[in-house]
Amino acid sequence: MKRDSLELAVIGSGPAGLAAAVKARQEGIKNLVVFERDERPGGILRQCIHSGFGLEKFNEELTGPEYANRYIKMAGDHGIDIELNSTVLELDKDRSIRVVSEKKGVRDYACNAIILAMGCRERTRGSLDIPGTRPAGIFTAGQAQRLINIEGLVPGREVVILGSGDIGMIMARRLTLEGAKVKAVLEILPYTNGLIRNEIQCLRDFNIPLMLEHTVAKVHGEYRLEGVTIAQVDHRRNPIEKTERFRSCETLVLSVGLIPENELSKTGGVLIDPRSNGPYVDELMETSVPGLFACGNVLHVNDMADNVSLEGELAAEGARLRITGQRSVSDQMVDLKAGLGISQIVPQRCSKKQDVWLNLRVKKPMGKIKVKVGDIRQKTFVCARPAEMVRLKIPKKAFEALGPDITTLQVSCEEA
Amino acid sequence: MNSDVLVQDGYLEEYDVVVIGAGIIGSMIARELSRFQIRGALIDKEPFPGFGVTKSGMAQIHSTDFCPPGTLKGKLCLDAPERFKRLADQLDVTYKEVDELWLALDPSQIANLEAAKERGEGHGATGYEIIDAKKIRELEPHVTEKAVAALYIRGLGVIHPAEWSFALTENAVQNNIEPHFDTSVLNIQKTEKGKYRVLTSKGSFNTNFIVNAAGLFADEIAWMVQDHHIRLTLKKGSVAIFDKSVSHLVRHMIFGTFSESHSQNVAPTAHGNLILGIHYTKTENKNDTSVEREGLGKIIKLGKELVPELSERDIITTFSGIMAANTMTNNGDFYIQPSEHAPGVIHVIAGAPGLTAAPGIAELVVGMLADAGMDVKEIKEFNEKRRGWPRFSTARLDKQKEMITQNPKYGHIICRCEKVSEGEITKAIHRGASTLDAVKHVTRAGMGRCQGGVCEPMVLGLLSKGLGIPIEKVTKKGKESFVTEGVMGK
Ligand SMILES: Cc1cc2nc3c(=O)[nH]c(=O)nc-3n(C[C@H](O)[C@H](O)[C@H](O)COP(=O)(O)OP(=O)(O)OC[C@H]3O[C@@H](n4cnc5c(N)ncnc54)[C@H](O)[C@@H]3O)c2cc1C
Repeated sequence: MKRDSLELAVIGSGPAGLAAAVKARQEGIKNLVVFERDERPGGILRQCIHSGFGLEKFNEELTGPEYANRYIKMAGDHGIDIELNSTVLELDKDRSIRVVSEKKGVRDYACNAIILAMGCRERTRGSLDIPGTRPAGIFTAGQAQRLINIEGLVPGREVVILGSGDIGMIMARRLTLEGAKVKAVLEILPYTNGLIRNEIQCLRDFNIPLMLEHTVAKVHGEYRLEGVTIAQVDHRRNPIEKTERFRSCETLVLSVGLIPENELSKTGGVLIDPRSNGPYVDELMETSVPGLFACGNVLHVNDMADNVSLEGELAAEGARLRITGQRSVSDQMVDLKAGLGISQIVPQRCSKKQDVWLNLRVKKPMGKIKVKVGDIRQKTFVCARPAEMVRLKIPKKAFEALGPDITTLQVSCEEA
Repeated sequence: MNSDVLVQDGYLEEYDVVVIGAGIIGSMIARELSRFQIRGALIDKEPFPGFGVTKSGMAQIHSTDFCPPGTLKGKLCLDAPERFKRLADQLDVTYKEVDELWLALDPSQIANLEAAKERGEGHGATGYEIIDAKKIRELEPHVTEKAVAALYIRGLGVIHPAEWSFALTENAVQNNIEPHFDTSVLNIQKTEKGKYRVLTSKGSFNTNFIVNAAGLFADEIAWMVQDHHIRLTLKKGSVAIFDKSVSHLVRHMIFGTFSESHSQNVAPTAHGNLILGIHYTKTENKNDTSVEREGLGKIIKLGKELVPELSERDIITTFSGIMAANTMTNNGDFYIQPSEHAPGVIHVIAGAPGLTAAPGIAELVVGMLADAGMDVKEIKEFNEKRRGWPRFSTARLDKQKEMITQNPKYGHIICRCEKVSEGEITKAIHRGASTLDAVKHVTRAGMGRCQGGVCEPMVLGLLSKGLGIPIEKVTKKGKESFVTEGVMGK
């Protein structure tokens, strides 16, 4: 099949993809297209109508759609081509993609660089193994959010929420504001799985009961959900039978985790880090396949859109260097390894030639911690929780202290 | 399926034959009956064919070695793969050829394999081979190293049963069988003229002949014609489906051990996932489709024993189905017999492997109806062919392009996991898929790793539009299974 050529293809028009496209254009990349499968640009932010976006990037508190609109406007001002209703079906190691849309049919593109910005998907009931029947009325948090905020539909009136991820807590508030009764938010862990600010603003301020170390032990109802059995869990997270209680509800919302959506990346031969569930990347977000870059939630699940946009800009910089032939593979790379107390780390390697921002998550909630990057950098943080990303800069200068024979740095944290 | 045109309250029409139940067996029988100059109806309480036990099995076309010697089911299963292959071609539905490996995990189990081989050959089947560990690993590099030998059976297959029931029903309807879905049979009366009156939730049907293919409810239908000796015993079987990313692990139907509480089995599905089963539990409740925590744990353990790389992390969904055996036969054989009290009524009580046996059963039942006096004159214009619709994800590139040129909606992907287009979903809705689950089973939208998380709101909209009903009336699986409460502020 005849292929069109592109300097740069960006897959996904969320805050990562749009920021990358805008930055790439500003840096002089002309022949670039953003592919988006949805009917509008903006990605998941379209349905996040709550505020809390943009504090870092724009020094203002914006809603999700407002934040996305800033980038959509910039993209428009730069004349960037965003092809909507266009699904990328395949990605090949040789940097070609196959795209399908109503308007253009099936098309192949040969690209000099590709930025992967497909975002993530939600864990479902199936991946959780919640026993019981399979009636209508069970939604993932994002699905409930889409139904309310985009389709204008009411999922239900009597709700139990399983999981205290950010979208789950935000949906607890949203459903309450829509007149629904949120009977409880259950969290299997001894601590919430989202930002503290959401716990306060979405649950506490609305008197929504949060039940830690609890789960749904069974689903009831043949046609529409009729209720759930809730139970406290033991230290192995199994329900304790004698604590089981029935709670009537016709809606169950699941907020039990996000998974970077890398099926396409894998078809392109990109290596995936089992810790982050996203590609291994260097400080300019280049994956294991030269010319393929990744940013945003496809790389690792972020808590803040602002950070996602920053990653997009880094990817754009990497792509520009690749397209203009200025990026050479360095044999001087250092691997960054998640050590003691750290569950994941992005980027996983760097070149020592510039400043690097590390994104880390700790394994469990901690008080004051000291994060160490080998012997070249350490920093103290007042507190750390798995749900809140820890960001730490390694200045270029710090690498100078590193002998040429050192190719791995352990990143660890301990109580300070 | 859409049968509203035909059904009104107080409906009373005359039929030659009424088939109760549109599972794989009822729909196969209806399709077989549609060859003849008769007026026939196919009735089911669910909104769509195949939504009883049929949709929730392992979906395998087995070999006869599972059936004890001398049994009716042994006979009916004998050339099942050939029959299914022929039908797949006529009905334009998926039949995927898959071979079987029944493993012996220690030398003491080899005797079981030899016995199975003998059983199969006793039924007249051929092509069984007992192979050694080396050959097993050549065929299936990911199965357990503990496997010392295997019974290797070639030429079996897997299907997607709900899709098949739908295709069979469509073909029967093309040939003038009348479909009546969402229609529960409530009672059967004898009329003065020696006929039967089938009373349903949607009206009555006068008929000369009745086929009772009501699956788990066949006992209750039998009792309506005073055949109180018909009794079923039930057990629930739970299974799990894996993400396609691990499908490379298994290419054969792999079996291990069997007991009262399990059949150890991992296999590919017709559409390229892996399915793992089966943990059995006793149940009395025919509507019990719940999956228990204990059962899940058990299945995973069984699976890992056969294929150590399987992981619970890759399970995308679990479900269960109920198997019915009967108390009238020995050896767990099928009971397919004319009624003892009601001439012209045929009871079809088939447990596992009912799917495999379905084509054979359909022929047998038509023969029984003829023996009971039904006039079996073939119609000249019988059309054995039914056409499905193009599938974007499996079409070749040139076909994909052609599809989109003809209808651009084939270029709009709604289900991203399974790559199902708007064109396909709309087609399915027009052809009778009236619920989210029906759309899911015939198009695969929502069958993938995100389990409809992304596409469900869009499919809801397409159902509302296609059926011309408000969105709050769209259901997951009929009756009260409304998905949303409708538009905000209303
Ligand atoms: C876990 C499991 C795994 C299995 N695996 C296999 C396998 O791999 N291979 C194989 O060959 N077999 C397998 N089986 C068995 C096979 O699925 C069944 O034997 C087969 O599907 C039975 O089909 P049916 O048409 O008799 O029943 P059903 O599909 O249950 O059809 C009966 C229909 O009757 C309708 N009905 C009932 N009562 C009424 C009423 N009063 N009015 C109107 N309609 C009514 C129901 O709605 C239903 O649609 C398996 C079964 C289970 C449970």
